[in-house]
Amino acid sequence: MTDTLIDPRGSQRFRFVRHGFADGVAELVYAFDEGPELIERVTFPGAPAVPVEREAAFAAALRLLHLVAGVSYYKAGIPETIVVEGESLDEDSASMLNALYVHGLAEFAYRNRLDLRSRIAFPSERKAAARASAIGLPHRSLLPIGGGKDSVVAVEAVKSIGADATATWVGNSPLIAECAARTGLSTLNISRELAPGLFELNRLGAWNGHIPVTAINSVILIVAAVLYGYDSVVFANERSASVATLEYEGQEVNHQWSKGFGFEKTLHDYIHTHVAADLDYCSLLRPWSELAVTSAFARLGGAYFDVFSSCNRNFRILGPKPADRWCGQCPKCHFVFLALAPFMAKPRLVSIFGRNLLDDDALAGAFDALLEYKDHKPFECVGEGAEARAALASLAERPEWREDALVARFRREILPQLDRDELALEPWLKPGASHLVPARLVGALDALG
Amino acid sequence: MKFGGTSVATAARWRNILELAASRRAEGARVLIVVSALSGITDGLKQLCTHADSKRRSDAAAALADRHHALLAEMSLAVPDTLGTRLVDLADLAQAGAADLGELAWQARVQAHGELMSSALGAAFLSANGLPTTWVDARECLHSVALPNQNERTRLLSAMVEPHHDPALSAALAARGEVFITQGFIACDEAGRTVLLGRGGSDTSAAYFGALLAALRVEIWTDVAGMFSANPRQVAGARLLQRLDYEEAQEIASTGAKVLHPRCLSPLREPRVPLLIKDTNRPELEGTSIGPEVREHAPSIKAISARKGITLVSMESVGMWQQVGFLADVFDAFKRHGLSVDLIGSAETNVTVSLDPTENLLDSDAIAALAADLARVCRVKVIAPCAAITLVGRGMRSMLHKLSGVLAEFGQLRVHLISQSSNNLNITFVVDEDVVDDMLPRLHELLIGAGALRTDDSMVFGPSWQTLYGAGEPVLPAAAWWQGERLKLVQLADERTPRYVYHLPTVRAQARRVKSLRAVDRAHYAVKANTHPGILKVLAEEGFAFECVSPGELTAVSAAVPDNVPLLFTPNFAARRDFEAALQTRATITIDALHPIEHWGDMFTGRDIMLRVDLGRGLGHHDKVKTGGTGSKFGVPIEHLDRFLRLADAAGARVIGLHAHLGSGILDAAHWGEVYSQLASLAERIGTIRVLNIGGGLGVPSHPGETALDMAALDRVLTSVRQAYPQFELWMEPGRYLVADSGVLLAKVTQEKEKGAGMRYLGLDTGMNSLIRPALYDAWHEITNLSRYSEPATTMYQVVGPICESGDILGSDRRLPESKEDDVILVAQAGAYGAVMSSRYNLRDEADEVLLP
Repeated sequence: MTDTLIDPRGSQRFRFVRHGFADGVAELVYAFDEGPELIERVTFPGAPAVPVEREAAFAAALRLLHLVAGVSYYKAGIPETIVVEGESLDEDSASMLNALYVHGLAEFAYRNRLDLRSRIAFPSERKAAARASAIGLPHRSLLPIGGGKDSVVAVEAVKSIGADATATWVGNSPLIAECAARTGLSTLNISRELAPGLFELNRLGAWNGHIPVTAINSVILIVAAVLYGYDSVVFANERSASVATLEYEGQEVNHQWSKGFGFEKTLHDYIHTHVAADLDYCSLLRPWSELAVTSAFARLGGAYFDVFSSCNRNFRILGPKPADRWCGQCPKCHFVFLALAPFMAKPRLVSIFGRNLLDDDALAGAFDALLEYKDHKPFECVGEGAEARAALASLAERPEWREDALVARFRREILPQLDRDELALEPWLKPGASHLVPARLVGALDALG
Repeated sequence: MKFGGTSVATAARWRNILELAASRRAEGARVLIVVSALSGITDGLKQLCTHADSKRRSDAAAALADRHHALLAEMSLAVPDTLGTRLVDLADLAQAGAADLGELAWQARVQAHGELMSSALGAAFLSANGLPTTWVDARECLHSVALPNQNERTRLLSAMVEPHHDPALSAALAARGEVFITQGFIACDEAGRTVLLGRGGSDTSAAYFGALLAALRVEIWTDVAGMFSANPRQVAGARLLQRLDYEEAQEIASTGAKVLHPRCLSPLREPRVPLLIKDTNRPELEGTSIGPEVREHAPSIKAISARKGITLVSMESVGMWQQVGFLADVFDAFKRHGLSVDLIGSAETNVTVSLDPTENLLDSDAIAALAADLARVCRVKVIAPCAAITLVGRGMRSMLHKLSGVLAEFGQLRVHLISQSSNNLNITFVVDEDVVDDMLPRLHELLIGAGALRTDDSMVFGPSWQTLYGAGEPVLPAAAWWQGERLKLVQLADERTPRYVYHLPTVRAQARRVKSLRAVDRAHYAVKANTHPGILKVLAEEGFAFECVSPGELTAVSAAVPDNVPLLFTPNFAARRDFEAALQTRATITIDALHPIEHWGDMFTGRDIMLRVDLGRGLGHHDKVKTGGTGSKFGVPIEHLDRFLRLADAAGARVIGLHAHLGSGILDAAHWGEVYSQLASLAERIGTIRVLNIGGGLGVPSHPGETALDMAALDRVLTSVRQAYPQFELWMEPGRYLVADSGVLLAKVTQEKEKGAGMRYLGLDTGMNSLIRPALYDAWHEITNLSRYSEPATTMYQVVGPICESGDILGSDRRLPESKEDDVILVAQAGAYGAVMSSRYNLRDEADEVLLP
């Protein structure tokens, strides 16, 4: 082993070295070739001792976290070979991880003009794995909070049926902390510290780009659920997350792949068979479109209007002004503004954002992209183009919006080219069929309709 | 004398009241004290009224009683009978509920107890401490009138009193004692029921009593010294307004100032009772005195305010043209939807009105329904969110000509509506809300600079909020170095003028101020401000790196400083050959456009480069020094960032740093925190970044009384961002800050000219050819006659140069001693952008440069 980091793009092997857990801190160790160890730490505050009956589940969850969180490091070098030291993987685990790495890094590959499909192969051996059993987890849920509209809607829906739940988040975002405080639920803030060597690798020229961060956070919360005793981890990913952003060399590229239903189902099943049979992983908003979620948010979110933000910029330093939470320049700001507009009084909406994004000529191109008009959907967690078109079409009918620069432009230039039958809002507000929400929480689904 | 909720909440504050009342009594006046409820009590009583359950109401009453018991204990007093009675009353009311009295009358009775209890407690405290004080029930003095537009709710909870001087009451009170205490907020109606005065209640009570008793004056004691020329939270340099007339004060209170409710001035106007606002904690401060109009003062803008959350409704139609009843129909729609109109602007085919941010507007579908109704008769546009910026001052129209600079500021914005009412007290601009926070301090400054807000009138304008309440001791401006070097400077001027003189100890002192920023890893001197080799050497000794914008600057710096000093090349629209030259040096290159990396990418292969981004907005003391926003030619817009990175990657260049520079002359520390955190959040998505360069622009105050940039505060702001993003190195590149104060321009008087009544020009032997900043940026430089330094400044001059340009003015309206030919004139703060921007225009000789070690 050497002490100095070198550009990982020249490495041959990516190694999952080892993982451990002590005093509430999970240590996940990786390395390129024989280079220095890259150690990531995830801290679970006030971690209790793991009860005997949950030990096996905890070990399985922790191992899964090691394997999933490795994607941040693997992508720095994407070497030919993946090595998992210690106990070998069964075939199910390897194929689950292969899928996660290939699809979760699809946008990364597209941006860097790489083809990972041939490279990513987790080693495995055929063996009969024992099916995980139920471990008697208490009937309560971990609700991840993101500071945005989606998790607020999920929280309010779960609160409305009186279910026992804890608001939880990973990392130190003051914005999320403020939102979590508004939920009135108990809170759990898990912190994650990337290996410092990763920054150094980036400076040395490592590959960089989008990673499936929701997958990592999901598994962190799976570990937390086993550790603290929760029978479900309930995310707030909606339907449109499953829709691909674009197709590239025969592969679908979806910026939100790890928020999509495919991954949710895979991880849900994997946890049942490999971690604990009574631990559910699901998304409460899965049956709903972005527009259904924004309409629910306009109804339920009043207490959060002055603290929430779905903007993707990382606001580590919060100020009191709307511009301190909404940059107004990213696709998320644009989409959320547009999607809330049909459901909220205009003066309220513009007071949340501090400006009227639909009355700004300079944003015409940005909104075109959301509409998938002359451009592809942006690489961001935004709704479907058809949703954006339906929202804008409804505003075009509304006297208080129709003269705003971009709405007027839409009426003049874009609307005549569209099929009016496909522009209705109502179909978007109806739920889809597929979801994995456990029986205990199905009532919360109805609260959204 | 009126005291509010926080002023009556602790024993210490009551001792304050005791002292103040006793001092007024000692002056021979009879004193009536009007008090609010203890802070938090009125809210507690309102809460009590919402409980349906009698037990919960009683518990709430008991908790409120405890607050008073605790305060009495702190005062070492037993419960006085007057208060005991009130507590029993309240307990009874709480238990009984609204049934007997009716909901609204019961609420009024319950809520009145806050003031009834605090005044009873106060009477006991004051009497026990040597100031015998008589408790007066306000309901025996203040009688509400029922107005035709009032309903039962407003009659009981937002009542009005129309007080007239009542000599009988004055006499009756005089017979009962010298010092009295009574309640704010409450009165009684014709039926003898307790009623509340609604918002601003206690101030209004004080005003009612003032009118009723034809008082000497009404004093409102609060936690701030009075009204200010702007909201101090937005403008730290806002000045205390020491004299206002009723109408001005009412206008200021209505357009933003929270210190006084606008309602409480009208009762005093007719009896001409003056109202004084004073700071309870700082009684020595003059405060704001509001009285009848005085004519002696020069017309001046008194205040500038901003109200946010405004929604505009713009209605456009050819139909309204000369059509009877059109506007009536339109306004009827507003009434139907419960929306009240504030400002109105109209043209032949357009009427635009403003709506204030009420709950009805924000959370109901009122605006959608209104727009739907209006859309039937005209084209409607709902413009929001807007803010109304109002300038207040008597005689507004006579000041319009002074506002050109201010209007130019608005010229860059979307101004949706301008309104000026016939009372000639205000002018209001409605603009997009998001520009207001940055704009207000600048406007305040501009108004002072334009002579429209006459802060030089010390009768009207007091100290700034910053001076009165800012952190730390008020700092008096240090004497400028040249005051101590006068004789030397006159000597130098006698040798030759025009001449620049640079004081190196001042350069060193400023350098050390920049070095005191611990958050900054590397400070560069932006050499464009002054490239004198002597100054470059001194700054190299002080540990500065250097920032150059042209090959010429790189050459000059390389010749003057040691070879190991880091260089930064940050050009704008530089030619290919400029980059080629810079790449031959050790300088780190900053690129500020796509073109170089797109078309000349191979030049940068294998190089570390910095990228200058445009964060989309600009700041600065003048339009021409703003360097952000689409109107500025600097930087790569954020939306091109990804493209730049791909191009750099394709070229094999590594982007190691991000740079942004918002503008110059910024005096508010918070701005750099914003730039820094915006850059950091961009940088964290780009793996290769290790440096953030937040530019320069550290402001140097020029006008007398302007507050200097607080370097300790700046360091705190930077450190807080740094802690959030420890992975990045922080660079800065100040220029003017380091050298401006160190330099002066010396010139001699050539002649004098008089034009018209009192327009006097003082001609110097140099002007814009040596110092172009006044002409280019409207910069203000202090101008002094060194030959007559001790003589009083009696004459108002326009100080001009010999260049054949009408803009060749170094200073307008400057008061100097009567000056004569060959007097030595000093123009201060000329160390930055002075000599470097000088020219030989008109083929006049350039000023030479002299160093003082």
